[in-house]
Amino acid sequence: MSPWKNVSVLRKLVQLGAFLFLVYGGSLTGYYLEDKLSGALPALSCAYDMQGADLCTLIPFQHQMDHRLGEAIAGGGNLMLGLMPTLITLATFLILFAVLNKAFCGWICPLGTFQELLHNLGQKLGLQRVESLPSATVQRIRPVKWLILLLLVFGLPLLAGIGWVNHDLGDPFCKICPSRILTTLANAESTELYVDSASSSTLVLSILANLLFGVMITLALTVRQPFCRICPMLALHAVFRKLGMPRLVKHAVPRCDRCGLCAKACPMDIREIHSEMQKRDVTFEDCTLCGRCVEFCPDKEVLQLRYLGFPVFSADPAYFKQRKQAQRHWENTTLLDRRKSGTGKAGITPP
Amino acid sequence: MHNSVSAAGAMLLLALALTAPQPGAQSGALQNDNHTPLAAAGQAHSHRRGAMKLLLENAEGAQINLWKPDLTRLPLTIEHGIVTLPATGVDNYHALVIERDWGYLHETLIRYLYLHGKPSGHSTSELTAAEKSSFEIVPDPVPREHQHYRSDQQWRFQVRFKGAPVAHLPVELLSSYGSRLSAVSDERGLVELRLPDDFPQIETGRRDRRGAEFTLSAELSKGGITYQTRLYAEYRVNPSHWHSLELGILAGGIGMLAGGLIGRLAVRSSR
Ligand code: SF4
Ligand code: SF4
Repeated sequence: MSPWKNVSVLRKLVQLGAFLFLVYGGSLTGYYLEDKLSGALPALSCAYDMQGADLCTLIPFQHQMDHRLGEAIAGGGNLMLGLMPTLITLATFLILFAVLNKAFCGWICPLGTFQELLHNLGQKLGLQRVESLPSATVQRIRPVKWLILLLLVFGLPLLAGIGWVNHDLGDPFCKICPSRILTTLANAESTELYVDSASSSTLVLSILANLLFGVMITLALTVRQPFCRICPMLALHAVFRKLGMPRLVKHAVPRCDRCGLCAKACPMDIREIHSEMQKRDVTFEDCTLCGRCVEFCPDKEVLQLRYLGFPVFSADPAYFKQRKQAQRHWENTTLLDRRKSGTGKAGITPP
Repeated sequence: MHNSVSAAGAMLLLALALTAPQPGAQSGALQNDNHTPLAAAGQAHSHRRGAMKLLLENAEGAQINLWKPDLTRLPLTIEHGIVTLPATGVDNYHALVIERDWGYLHETLIRYLYLHGKPSGHSTSELTAAEKSSFEIVPDPVPREHQHYRSDQQWRFQVRFKGAPVAHLPVELLSSYGSRLSAVSDERGLVELRLPDDFPQIETGRRDRRGAEFTLSAELSKGGITYQTRLYAEYRVNPSHWHSLELGILAGGIGMLAGGLIGRLAVRSSR
C-alpha cells in the first residue's frame, strides 16, 4: 500500500507537523501570550512552554475560576462580570472546536502524539502490548476524566478563588499535567520536572505530576494512549461533541454482530462502535476521531468520517485489504527482530 | 564598571520606587508566589484594576507618560512626589516613561508595568518596539505576561538610541541588595545579564515570596548632550530554592517503574 494512501501515515504526518508547530512554533507566532494563536486551544499544548505557538484552554479556565469567578463570589461582586472571561474563553474554544471536533485529540494534540509514538516504540522494541483493555477496566477508568475536569479544572480553582482552599490549589490540573513536563523538556528545559516543597499541596501535586509523567511514559509502550483515557480535555470535548463539524457515522449491518474489528482497532477501546446498531452518530465520549475504526472496517461505507454530513473517508473492502497487509508488514518489522512478540494477531495496532 | 555610568550618580537623577498602596501590590512584599504562567498573575499583578501610586523623587521638570499597549500615551502629573497611575481599563504591559531634558543632559527612566482590564488585543512586542524615549534600555523580551524576572536567571536587553541599537556600550545592573553587574552591548545593541541571586537569608526548601528591585543604566554622549537611561524592574527569588530537580527525577523514575509494572500486569490480564 502506498504510504500516501494510508490514513494512519497521513495522520502521523499531520500529528508531527502539529507537534513541531505547537511545541516550537513560538518563533513564528511570537513570544507573548497575545501573540499566540488562540489562547484556548482544544488540545494540551502547554502555556508553560515559552516556545509554543498556542496554549490549551484548561489554563485560562482554571485561572478564571480562581481569579475572576471565585473572587467575584467571595467579594460579593458582579457574578456576570466574573463569569465573562470564562464565557469569552469558552466561545473561542468552541469556534476552534467546531472545526475539528474531537479530532483535536486524534490529529493535533502534542501529548496524544507523544503517547502514540511511545506505543510505536514499544512495538518496534518488540514488547508485548495490550491489544485491548478489558471492558470492565475501560468502564472503571472512564469516569476519572470527568472527575478531573470537575474537580481539578473547575472545582478546586473556584474554591481557591472563594478562599475556601489555599491558592496553591488555584491551578491543580496544570500542576499534575504531563504536557507541562513534556513540552518544557522538549525545549531542553528541566524547570518543570521538580518536587515543590513550598506547601503540602504543592508537594503532593508535584510528586503526583512526576509519578504520572513517569507512569505515562512506560505504560504507553504497552498500552495505547494511557493518559488520554483520564484527560479532562477529552471530557470537555465530550460535552460539546454535538457541535463539531466532523463526526464518526455508522450504518450498521447484520455482519457487525460477528465482526468487531473496529473496536479492536480503536486506541481508546470503545467497544460501543462495534455493539452500537441503532445510532448513526457514533462519536462517543472517548472517541478521538483518529479514523482507525474506519480503516479497519471491512464493509463498504459501514463506518464513515463525515464533515458537515459529507463523507470524507469511508470504510472500503479494498482499502481494508491493503491496510491489513501494510499493518502486518509494520507489525513484523521490529528493531530487535522479536517477531513473535507484540499483539500482532489481529494486525490492527498502530501506526 | 564604566566611569561615565558611575559618574551619573552625582548628577541630577530621578529616583523611582513603587509604593505599596495595598499590601502585596507592586512592592517587594508579595502575597503569593506561584510561578504558574497565568495563575501568577493573580499575585504578581494582584488583579487590581484600580489606580496605583508611585513614588518619584527629585522630579522637578520631569515629563511623565504612561504608554498603553496600543501605544497611545497618557500624560501624568506628580503631586507631592507621588505619581498616580490611573486604571487604563486594558490588560497587558504598559510603560511608564519619565523624561527630563536639561539641554546638556537628557534623563530617561522606564518601567514596564502589567495593568489589568479588558484584553488589549496588542502584543507587548509593539510596546517594546516603539521608540518611547531617545535613549532607552529595552527588555528583549519582557517576562511573558504573568511571569517575572527571577534571581539567577539570564535575561536579555537591548540598548537603543533614536530607535537604533547602540553597540559596544557599557550597561550596569544594580540591585536593591547592592549587587552590581556590568556588561557591554554587542553589535546588535544586546546585553545578556544573569540577575543576581542575592536575597539574604534564603532557606533551601522554603518558599520565599520576596521581591526586590534592579535597575539597568547606561549613558551616552551625542552632539554635546549626555543621555542617561535607566530601566527599573522587579525581580523575585528563584523558585529553584524550594524546587528539587533531583527529587523530581526520582519521582519520575518511580513512576516509570510503576508504569512498566502496570503495563506488564495489563498485558498478562489481557491474554
Ligand atoms: S499544564 Fe496542561 S493544562 Fe496547564 S496549560 Fe499546560 S497543557 Fe494546559
Ligand atoms: S485526550 Fe489525549 S489527545 Fe486529547 S487532549 Fe488529552 S492528551 Fe491530548
